[in-house]
Amino acid sequence: MNECERIEQSMERWLDGELGAAESEVVRSHVDSCANCGAVQQRLVKLERALGNVLAAAAPRIEFAPFWSELERRIDEKTPWHKDLRERIHGWFAVPRTAWAVPALIVLLIAVLSYDSYLPFWRSRNNSATVVSIDAYGRSVALLREDESKTTVIWLYQNQEGDDEAAEETPQPGPAF
Amino acid sequence: MELSDWELVRKCQSGEMSAFQELASRYHQKVFMVILGLLRNRDDAMEVAQETFLRAYRKIGGFQGGSSFYTWLYRIAVNLAIDAQRRQKRNPLDFRENMDDLLESQDEVARDPFAEVHDRELRENMIKAINDLTPEHKAVIVLRTIEGLSYKDIGEILGCSEGTVMSRLHYARKKLHDKLSSFL
Repeated sequence: MNECERIEQSMERWLDGELGAAESEVVRSHVDSCANCGAVQQRLVKLERALGNVLAAAAPRIEFAPFWSELERRIDEKTPWHKDLRERIHGWFAVPRTAWAVPALIVLLIAVLSYDSYLPFWRSRNNSATVVSIDAYGRSVALLREDESKTTVIWLYQNQEGDDEAAEETPQPGPAF
Repeated sequence: MELSDWELVRKCQSGEMSAFQELASRYHQKVFMVILGLLRNRDDAMEVAQETFLRAYRKIGGFQGGSSFYTWLYRIAVNLAIDAQRRQKRNPLDFRENMDDLLESQDEVARDPFAEVHDRELRENMIKAINDLTPEHKAVIVLRTIEGLSYKDIGEILGCSEGTVMSRLHYARKKLHDKLSSFL
């Protein structure tokens, strides 16, 4: 990064009065001696001036007396309970808005992923067969979980090439768990 | 001798309405200008300014002085104005009428016809460009340009870091400059 790029990065903070004295002096002396950075400074100053004019020019002077009498009337006015409640609820949720999204998303995610823990009736209907291991003889074992206390073990024999009737009549010992 | 904001706040907390009146007289114009900068509509800005002081009055009992009174007050104002602005965005017809009204009121002080045309175009485009900013970007621009607040104070008002204020300002200015480069 060259000097001009570094200065340009500090330019706005300098114009906003956010730089310390030493840093300000570095920026000022560079801007005074560099035409490009001087032009950037001029552009920013013009923009700020135009912004100030547009934003401030239309602001009328507000008379305090009518402002206060209206405010006093509102202060004395009793707020209906439902409006008060709505404001409180709005206050809880409105600020800061995005901060609510993260925990809400996490809770939703946990709820979705663990729904069967909270819905026993759903779990009992949600039987599933899964191959959980392959034993030493190359056979797969499937467990059919029906509920918490009942699990059916199914041996899955693979029909391999070279298997014959005799092999089926003399099954290998089952896998040890 | 003029009492400080904090002394007036303490008096408000002990039930002195006149102290709150004094605080309102100190800040009603500034609060109104900031809100108007965000909303660009006088009636809406006045309504939000009233609501700001009403809320401040109701909540001042809980104000502990962790920040200055004006940053606390501006925080209420900016939050209400941003909410109102979101509602306003949903009604573009109102916005168009308000902008024309605003431009007409500024033309009352017109001078040289050429300068007048240039200024009018600049204002028109500037207001469009400002209104194209998100509420958060508009808020930093308004607080910095109208009030001249420091990054720290703006951060406290908007509930974000100084770094965020700096980057939002940079982004907002770049956007405005890109749209207005032919007028500047």
